[in-house]
Order: sequence, then C-alpha cells, then structure tokens
Amino acid sequence: MLKRPAALIASLGVIAGLALASPASAQERTIKITGFGAKSGVVRVFGINSEAAMKAAAEEINKAGGVTLGDGTKAKITVEFLDDRCNAEEGISVIRRIASSDAFVAVGPTCSNVAESLFGILQKKVGDASDTGLQFPIIADVAAKGGLAKISEWAFRNVPSEFEMYKSLFAWVKAQHPELKTIYGGVEKDFAHSNATYGVIKAQAEANGLQVLGTSEWLLADTTFSTQVREMKRANADIVAISAHPFTTCGLLKEMQRQGVKPKLLIGLTSSSSIETLQGCAEQAEGIIIPTSFAPVTPAAIKAAEQVAKFGGSADLHSAAAYEIMFILKDVIEAQKIMAKPNTVAADREKMRAGLAALKETNGLLGKIGRTADREAIKPFLYVHALRGSWQVLYKPSS
Amino acid sequence: MDLLDFIDIVQTIADGVLFGATYAILGIGFTLIFGVMHKINLSYAAASIGAAYASLLILAGIKAPALLVFALAAVAGGVIGGIVYLVAFHFIPLANPLATLMSTVGLLLLIDEIIVHATAGVPLAYPALFSSVIVPAGPFNLRGDLMFVFGLGCVCMVLLLLLLYRTRLGLATRAVSQQPTAAQLCGIGLTRVNVLTFVVTGVLGGVAGAMTGAAIGMLSPLLSLPLTVKGLIVTVIGGLGSIPGAIIAGLLVGGLENLFQFFRGVSERDFYVMLLLFAFLVFRPGGMFAPDQGHD
Repeated sequence: MLKRPAALIASLGVIAGLALASPASAQERTIKITGFGAKSGVVRVFGINSEAAMKAAAEEINKAGGVTLGDGTKAKITVEFLDDRCNAEEGISVIRRIASSDAFVAVGPTCSNVAESLFGILQKKVGDASDTGLQFPIIADVAAKGGLAKISEWAFRNVPSEFEMYKSLFAWVKAQHPELKTIYGGVEKDFAHSNATYGVIKAQAEANGLQVLGTSEWLLADTTFSTQVREMKRANADIVAISAHPFTTCGLLKEMQRQGVKPKLLIGLTSSSSIETLQGCAEQAEGIIIPTSFAPVTPAAIKAAEQVAKFGGSADLHSAAAYEIMFILKDVIEAQKIMAKPNTVAADREKMRAGLAALKETNGLLGKIGRTADREAIKPFLYVHALRGSWQVLYKPSS
Repeated sequence: MDLLDFIDIVQTIADGVLFGATYAILGIGFTLIFGVMHKINLSYAAASIGAAYASLLILAGIKAPALLVFALAAVAGGVIGGIVYLVAFHFIPLANPLATLMSTVGLLLLIDEIIVHATAGVPLAYPALFSSVIVPAGPFNLRGDLMFVFGLGCVCMVLLLLLLYRTRLGLATRAVSQQPTAAQLCGIGLTRVNVLTFVVTGVLGGVAGAMTGAAIGMLSPLLSLPLTVKGLIVTVIGGLGSIPGAIIAGLLVGGLENLFQFFRGVSERDFYVMLLLFAFLVFRPGGMFAPDQGHD
C-alpha cells in the first residue's frame, strides 16, 4: 500500500519537473529597464510623465509577446524609475547605482544640467583604454539643451531638435506673415533650457529678417512682470517670443493682458505646449504658437496618449519621447541579441551602445525619426496653438 | 531721463509697493513669532503657500468664489500654524536656538515636498479679485487686484494691532514677549500663548499666501524659498519684533526691488536687495524701528 502513494508522488514530481523544464516556462523571463529623472521638486511632473510613458510602452510590448533575447527566449519588460531630483550630483549617484546592477541601458534624465554632468562621467570615446569613464549606455528622453549627446559616445538622445523646430517656425512665419518685421523676446534667465532656447529663437528670428527690438529677462520664481512688460510695450513689436516655462509664461501673459500688450503673433517655448499652461492661463495664452514633437494626431499618438493617461501621466513632447525610447530599446535588444544575464552585462552594454549608435532611423509617434552621427534625433514636429482652452494643430511642416 | 522714463520709474515703484503688501504680511508673521518666542520660524512662508494650496485642493472641482478660497486659506493657515508649533517648537528644547532653527528648516523642506507631491509640482491657477480692474491715476495705472491685496493687507495689520493691544490675548502675548517668566508667574500659560501666536500668525500667513497667489494669478512650489528670503529681509530691515517696521519694510522692499530691476536688470536685482540687507545688518542691526544698539 505504501508503494502506491510513493509512486504517485514520484510521478507528480516528474510531471512537475517536466512542466518546469518545458520551453514555455523557460521563456518566462523578465528584463528591467531603469528610467531616472525628477520625481521630486518643482519638475516632478516630468518624472511622473516619463515613468507613466515607459510603463505604458512596456505594457504594450508585453501584450505583444515581450522582447526576444539573444538566446531565443521571450522576456517581459518591467520598468523601474529612480528620482534624481533634477540635481546633477543625485543624477550621477543614481546612474552609478544603476550601472552597478545588471542593467544594460538606462533612460533619462529630465534636466539638462543633470544630463550635462552625468554624460561627462561616461567614457568619451569608445575603446579608449586611457579613459576610465563609465561604460554604460544612456538614452535621454527629456533633457532638451542642444548638443548634449556629443559629450560621450555612450550618450544618446531622443529629444527634438529645438534648432530645427524654430528654424522651421520662423521660416514659416516669414512666408505666412511677411508684414511682420519686428520681434521682442522674453526669457527666463536662470533656467538652462529657456536660456539656451532663447538663443536659438533670437538667431532664427534674425536669420529670417526680423528685427529684434529688445529682450526682457526674469527669473524662474519671479512673481511680478510689470517692468518687463512695460519694456515690451514700449518696443511695440509685431511678434513677442517667450522662452519660459508655464509658471512664468502665465505670469507674463497675465501682465501683458493687464497692460494691453497685444502682439500680432505670440511664440512660446516648446515645454510650454503643455496642459499646465492651459490650466494656468488658457485665456491669456489664446493664440500662442509653439513647435512641438508631440500631439495626438496619428493613431499611434492617440493610443499612446490614452495608455500614458492610464498610468497616471500625461503625454507631451517629453514623455512621448520616453514612450518611443522603449520601442527603440526593444528593437535594439532583439537586433543585437542581448542576453540579459548576469554574466553578460558588460557585453550587453557594449552591444546596446553599438546598436543604438548604428540606428539610422527609428519609429516615432508622429512618423519616422532620423538619427544623426552624433547620436541625436531628428524628430518630426508640428506647430500647435492654444485655441479655446486646448492645443490645436496649426501646421505640420512635413505635410 | 525723458518723461516716459520718469512715468515708468514711478509706475515701477508703485507696482512694487503694492506687491510689497504681501511681503509686509509675511514680515509681520516672522516678526510676531520672533517677538513672542525669540525664535525664527523659517517654515513660515512655505506654510503660507501651503495654506493657499490647501484652500485650492480642498475646493478642487468646486467653482468657489475667490473670497471663500481666501477665507479657507486663512483657516488652513491657522491649522498649519498650530501644527508647525507642535512639530518644530513644542517638543524641541527652546534653550537651544539652533535646534528650533533647524527644525523649521526641515519643516520648510517638508511642506515644500508635500506641496510638490500633492500637485506634481504643477503650477495651479489661483483666483483673484479685481484682476481685470485697472485704476487710472493720471499717466499711471494701478492694478485693481494689487490694490485689493494692499487694502486687505492693511486690514489684516489693523486687526492684528487691535488683537495685540485691545484684547486679553494680545496682553498675554505682549507679556510673554517681554517677560516670559513674570508672565508665567502671573498665571499666563506659556504654551497656550505660544500656540495661539502660531495660529494667529498662521491665519495671517494663509492670507499672505492667498494674496500672493491672487497677485500672481498662480501658485507654484517655487514661491516658498524666495518668499522665505523676502520675509526674513523684511523682518531684519523693519526690526526684529517690530510690527510697524515689518509693514514699512515690506512696502519698501517691494518698491526698491522693482526699482533695482528697472535700473540694473533682473540679474542684479537681488544682489542690491541683499546689499541693502547687509547695510542694515552692519549699520543698523536692530532694523529701522528698533532702538539703535550699535554693534561691537
């Protein structure tokens, strides 16, 4: 009698063993993609949106079967997102932490000042034995200051080129509104992105024959704009360009309304084409034109916006980049046959870097994204304008 | 200098002085706490902005009238003021001035981060009264909303002075401020007076936060630190512990800040405000309204 139960248990054990060893179970692997960015402080919303976008994209990829690894197994993607508080030292610390794990790539950061510093600790030139910099591929989704990927051959970006956007926008302004001859600028002086982009705006305005009548400056946390708007009023320019983030953009626009400053055309900073601007000053922002690399105008973009919202974020030009990056990484993992095993970490990192560097074109939510030799993206973009409390597409240059 | 420049300068000063009313209210809060407890509460401006945020978040989804939002900010300010006392002062050894200073720095950061987590750091529109009203005064224009802020600030200051000089609580507060031991021997409860001082200054802070939001039209966690610095500058220039000093210094700093910006630009504006602070610290460390004690 005793033999029977023992045989039964043994049989069950064999069956369980076979089940565990079956191909389906062996393929149940997961790989972790780590994102990092600001999840505290005043730019927390960028981190929230990037994390939501990464998770939304991961879910889409997983639903479609996951990612195929180098040994032929399928893996599901999980996303971890770390907070760098938009602080360069924190950013470096976070990336060192990620690099000390089995991770073979990271997505981030939010802030240009963080990207600038942490790209600086990466090995500058691949294969340079004398350079002991970190050999770890990073692809940025938000940090928008121009030319940052040049810092290291391990650094990549999927951010729009503001130079191309404003170059195109001012050429369009020249063609559509030849009667507009003068421009007045306003810039949030103490914010790297606003300041750098204002340089681009000013240069492109001049290149397109506009006379720059002056520039008003303010700081990110300023509360009054009366002096700046009076300067603007005295200049009486045809166009006003504001290179600032939503908080001060709204403060300035409200003061412009109070002082009756009504330029014929209003141009804003890429980052202000967000819901925050409309929440803060929809009435005053009416008509402002902003170039952006994201708007829910294609089926893929509409779907992405819905998915990101499901994960508690909002799809904008920054988080859309994070969403796209996840699909880029999936393609590179598969093309480079990444193994994602503890003993292949160094090789996987090198293969990821090589794979990202080899990309000539990737898929984006608005269309194909070109890749440059210095590891930057050439993203399709369009112009949106604020119309009755929402962002509406004004013009699509590629169409 | 042509006429247009002159008009611009006067207008610039007028705008700054009107906005300075918010600095004045903040300065009163700082100075009142210092007057009673001889402690600096560095979390005061953050708590004020926190109270303004609380009024928005509590009324989220309801199209409440601006006055109700302001009133709620004042109430929230009082509650936060009481909590600040309990957290940063009540259980901390008051004999060690550094301990309470550091605990309020901690609270400043904590309140800021709570705001950021509650709102994702996104600026929120804040209601204003008379925001579209512009009062013409000759070649000058005075903003209706800032005049309202200025007027409400003046009303708060008068009410506070009445509270301090016409009520038993005010008498107790002044007694504790001047001679805490003697006040205690007379039966005045120190803890009760301290809590009430924090609640009253919290209410005032809530009004200041609401007025700041109303004047800008938006609230952002970015405001906490600059307002803390402005509040401290106003308190030092006005004279630590002097309410009339805080009022005048608030208006003065508001006006001068705009004037410095007009002449020297935004990059140098704060430099000159700081220079003014250092000048006071060196030549009149007691501030404008404190007796001249000189320095060693």
